[in-house]
Amino acid sequence: MDDVLDEVVSSEDLQKFEKVFHEQLHQGKVTHKAQFEYAWCLVRSKYPTDIRKGILLLKELFNSHPEGKRDYLFYLAIGNARIKEYNKASHYVKSFLEIEPANQQVLALERQINKRMEKEGLLEIAFCSSDECRCRRSSLL
Amino acid sequence: MSRCDFKIVLLGSEHVGKTSLVLRFVNCRFNAGTPYQNTIGAAFCAKTMHSNGKDFNIGIWDTAGSERYQAMTKMYYRGAHAAIICYEPSCLASWTRLRHWLQELRTVEEDCRVYLCATKKDLLDSGAVVREVPEDIVATYSQDLSGHFVTSSKTGENVEELFQKIVDDCAADVSVMKNVEEMRVKLAKEEAALKAKNKDYCFC
Repeated sequence: MDDVLDEVVSSEDLQKFEKVFHEQLHQGKVTHKAQFEYAWCLVRSKYPTDIRKGILLLKELFNSHPEGKRDYLFYLAIGNARIKEYNKASHYVKSFLEIEPANQQVLALERQINKRMEKEGLLEIAFCSSDECRCRRSSLL
Repeated sequence: MSRCDFKIVLLGSEHVGKTSLVLRFVNCRFNAGTPYQNTIGAAFCAKTMHSNGKDFNIGIWDTAGSERYQAMTKMYYRGAHAAIICYEPSCLASWTRLRHWLQELRTVEEDCRVYLCATKKDLLDSGAVVREVPEDIVATYSQDLSGHFVTSSKTGENVEELFQKIVDDCAADVSVMKNVEEMRVKLAKEEAALKAKNKDYCFC
């Protein structure tokens, strides 16, 4: 739990908000609040399928409820960063910063996303070069 | 891999200055030029502190005060070693709401230490605002809690003192320290296992 991207929702919490959402869905009227709370849990899940579902719900909210735009942008960025869709995450961060350029919370998120991109980019290179080593080795053997 | 030894959560009504308090503590600055922006959900900050000859990683969850997020911010109270409940002495509503925050906290974390924090001391001192919350009421109320600090994020007054007191109290708590030590041993083991695993992959 070192930053907002590492933090994971507990399954009890996820189920609690899932239940509310589904009850409303069943009655044919889902409130913005219930959908947002459920999506907020989903994007903090450890399972990528949950996160993707959360992203869909947030996109829907973003298009239908302009008052909550900054919340939806923020969690869209978090969700995408968590499934390593860093370009999309950066896009949402940039859209947010266009509205509130000095937002500390979002600037911190941007730094974390960049850090991860850098780290995982470097890891990829490291993996490639170790593969190369392996290839060389096997050709020598 | 560095994990937090102590978890601190910040609670309180919106606009009392929770985020400014954290930013003053972590970055040692106050940005008077930035317009007010309400926190989305919860923000996280970390800092290393020293107590009793040891270093501790402090993780701080700065929760949103806005009603909109209340169902969700409760989740961040879980596992907290200490909570800071903020109020503004010049705003009676922020004080009456304090009981609500305390109850919310107790439903999730019964044993968590609670510290009261009055904010915006500089405005009181300069006479820019008038105190609405009587000092004797605060004194009575805070008797059962772990501490009460009157702070200014603008000047930095009492901010370091508040967090130092929390860390000192946690470090002096035998049961908390036992958990911290266990967690450190567990993490060191995991890290060693990860290193050993990565070693297998290196052919160079």
